[in-house]
Amino acid sequence: MSKSHVMALFSDFDQASAAIRDLKSANLEGFKLDDVTLKSPIEHPEIEELLGKRPVYVRIFTFFGALFVPLLGFLFVASSQATFLLQPKGGKAVIPLPPNFVLTYEFFILGGVYMTALGFFICAKLPMKRNKLYNAHVSADQIGILIKAEDAIMPAIKDLFTKHKPLEIMWGEN
Amino acid sequence: MVNTYEETEVAVEKKFVKKEHDINADIEWAKINKDILRSLERPRAIFWVIFVASFALFMVGVSCEVYQYQTGLGVANLDNPHVWGLYVATFIWWIGMGHSGTLLSALLHIMHADWRKPIYRYSEAMTTFTLLTAAMFVLVHLGRIWQFYYVVAYPNERWTWPNFQSPLVWDATAIGTYLTSSLIFLYIGMIPDLAICRDNAIGFRKKIYLFLSLGWMGTDRQWANFRVTYLTLACFLMPLAVSVHSIVSTDFAASQQPGYHITSFPPYFVAGAIYSGLAVIITLFIVLRYTFRFEEYMTIPILEKLAKLTFAAAMVWTYLNLIEYASTWYGNDMYAKQALIYRATGNFAPFWWMMNFLGSVLPFALAFKKVRTNIPVMLVLSILLNFGMWLERWMIISPTLAHGIYPWTWDHDQWPSFVQWGIVAGSFGWFNMLFMLYCKIFPSISMYEVKEMLYERRSFKTKKVAEEVSNPELAVEGGLAS
Amino acid sequence: MSITNLLNNWSFYRQKRPFRGQYDLNKQYSEYKWAMALDLDICTGCNACTTACYAENNLPVVGKERYQHGYAMHWIRIERYWDENMGEFPESGTSFLPMMCQQCEEAPCETVCPVGATNHTNDGLNSQNYHRCIGSRYCSVNCPYKVRYFNFWNYPSTAWPSPLQDQLNPDLTVRTKGVMEKCTFCVQRLNEAKSRARTEYRLVKDGEVVPACVQACPTNAITFGNIVDPKSKVAKMWKNQQVDLYKDEQEKDSSMRGYRILEDLRPFPSVMYMERVRDMEA
Repeated sequence: MSKSHVMALFSDFDQASAAIRDLKSANLEGFKLDDVTLKSPIEHPEIEELLGKRPVYVRIFTFFGALFVPLLGFLFVASSQATFLLQPKGGKAVIPLPPNFVLTYEFFILGGVYMTALGFFICAKLPMKRNKLYNAHVSADQIGILIKAEDAIMPAIKDLFTKHKPLEIMWGEN
Repeated sequence: MVNTYEETEVAVEKKFVKKEHDINADIEWAKINKDILRSLERPRAIFWVIFVASFALFMVGVSCEVYQYQTGLGVANLDNPHVWGLYVATFIWWIGMGHSGTLLSALLHIMHADWRKPIYRYSEAMTTFTLLTAAMFVLVHLGRIWQFYYVVAYPNERWTWPNFQSPLVWDATAIGTYLTSSLIFLYIGMIPDLAICRDNAIGFRKKIYLFLSLGWMGTDRQWANFRVTYLTLACFLMPLAVSVHSIVSTDFAASQQPGYHITSFPPYFVAGAIYSGLAVIITLFIVLRYTFRFEEYMTIPILEKLAKLTFAAAMVWTYLNLIEYASTWYGNDMYAKQALIYRATGNFAPFWWMMNFLGSVLPFALAFKKVRTNIPVMLVLSILLNFGMWLERWMIISPTLAHGIYPWTWDHDQWPSFVQWGIVAGSFGWFNMLFMLYCKIFPSISMYEVKEMLYERRSFKTKKVAEEVSNPELAVEGGLAS
Repeated sequence: MSITNLLNNWSFYRQKRPFRGQYDLNKQYSEYKWAMALDLDICTGCNACTTACYAENNLPVVGKERYQHGYAMHWIRIERYWDENMGEFPESGTSFLPMMCQQCEEAPCETVCPVGATNHTNDGLNSQNYHRCIGSRYCSVNCPYKVRYFNFWNYPSTAWPSPLQDQLNPDLTVRTKGVMEKCTFCVQRLNEAKSRARTEYRLVKDGEVVPACVQACPTNAITFGNIVDPKSKVAKMWKNQQVDLYKDEQEKDSSMRGYRILEDLRPFPSVMYMERVRDMEA
């Protein structure tokens, strides 16, 4: 069975969420919540109540970045101090701890920030190619619902959308 | 008595929705896009005036630097032992200014103070460009600028490394971290807006935005990741900003020079940084508001909030400043005390008193609502406050070097030459040029966050009205029982 | 490799200096520690040391105007002070003091250099590596004695017009603009003497090598030598004056004249001064 995509544009979030609620209660065969994507101009955390929690793995990256980069940073600083041929300076120990902690702290932030950013790009799958079913209005003021479903239930979904008076319905290859 | 829905709405608004006043919640979202994207198209003529003047100023700085590069640092009129001057002072000033961009953006984001939303983008950009300007001063200040890369820890066959004990290396690390992190923060926060630009641009600019927006579509998965990332980054950026200026202050606090060797320097520097940063945010607020016709988004109530924040920062700074004097005085360290007395009575005294006046007394003007809401007055005031903060940095650097521990080397007659002044002026040109260019190329107000702000306010209002209507008893009594 | 190195030598890398036994003839660490004793009672303030230093160390003569402006490059300078309590004739209270880099054991300048251009050598000198210096001038800011001199101008192009360049000392460099320089205890002489001694399987003898200022002093006010060797003159003088290199506060007899300048800042200088005795009633 081949699958295809449909996207409906709504003028506000309440309409869109009502449509999703109806879709859920319609119990269509082969319909999965995971195949529903909401495209919105702003963040709508409320949608998680309807679509279920989308897992976010960014913080795992953050954790490892903030853990290992400072460790490596400290080792890097200390070992370069130990291999510096002109070692003793100002009567301080060759590997003085207070300055190295300052630098380790900076490495901690560095690792945290860089790995978080990297995690974001990986988890949000950026950079990505834009779908064909994308409308520039989504970035302005409209809400889009994109659904991937089997062709058999496609007419039912379209009917359902039409009931909620969408501004536009687009379908086809994604 | 029957309450209609509309009456209830008005009553609720009066009662709860005080936030309403800083921005009109009924702006059409499409209009937001249009208004802000207009700033990328055709600003007022003053934009070009500022841009050209900045470029000219920058060229003055460049020619002074070329002269200094060719001849040696003697042309800056620095001498032994007065080896640091305006370069270091202005370096601290610029780097400090950046901190407020982060404060406004990250701290207020964590604390859900949503009035930051229309103004945080340009503040963050300000952070990035002030850091670039400050980094420039590090180079200008060096005797052998062509070998600045010795400070970078790169492996080499001679087994030489930078001296990790030196506060200057901490500086380099901290500034490097701060610059790249705030760039990442700025960029990630801008991706949804770049997508808006992409959807509206044409021609070669479309290609640029297409590339920069990374195919952002605003799907719920993207937004969920975005929310977590942005919050995490904000959590890292806050302590980073504090640590950066603390580290800059250790350049002084960790040295033995009387007048530098002061324990309270790290918080003092951070407070001063936030203070001058808020002042410059106000200046830029007024400039951008006029230049790009942002009157609807950068509203007077937001300016007022900024002014209040500035006042608070000014008072923190004043407190720490007085603490510094008091601890020096009661610490009874001979060298530190005489350095303090010299600052107040020597030939830098006029500037020292002026700095104290501008930094501690003048902000009291912000206690008056008439001042806070008057745009021309605020423009002048914010510039004056920043001038005071610049003087503060100079008054830390110069008088103490003129009057150190060792009496034979007291050197009271030092005055910066035109080369130093020229390069300091050039740095303003450099900053303004970059900043103005940024505001022309990228949206300087965050469109999606302004929409979020409006959305939250509208749904808050709807919720309250609904509560009110469903609870007619209370409504009859005229709003919720307080 | 580095981690093994770190773990094996951790206690060595965590060792603070100066520690007793750091300089020792049995060579735990180094058998040389160069030090100086300067008797202000003998010093006449004749400036011969300064002149000798200019000749030995290729110091540029900057001229009157630049001197007044604070560009003088005198690695050793004679400082004059007038006692304000002397009433009508402050000159009669004149005192003076030759000042050069104190080669501190815990040198404030060393820790702050971003590129590690100034370091502590094994024989207790505070070295300055001109090639590494990028001219951040932080060392000068942190030096309590302000004995570091920065090349604000490109002196090699102006200070020695032809044929004066022929009298430059070939044993050390001529410094260009943008680097910091300072007294080295004439390290070029010390290194030469140490190499010579090593080829003969012995230590440098006392008096075998002296810096230019010591050599030029007409009254022998400056004594220089290896303080590790208990028989050397300088070690005896330090001992007689009860000044201990490793202490930041001396427990000496009040009749002793020896002192180190700004000892309370804990730089542990290697130069001991001996107070001038003044007959105030005469």
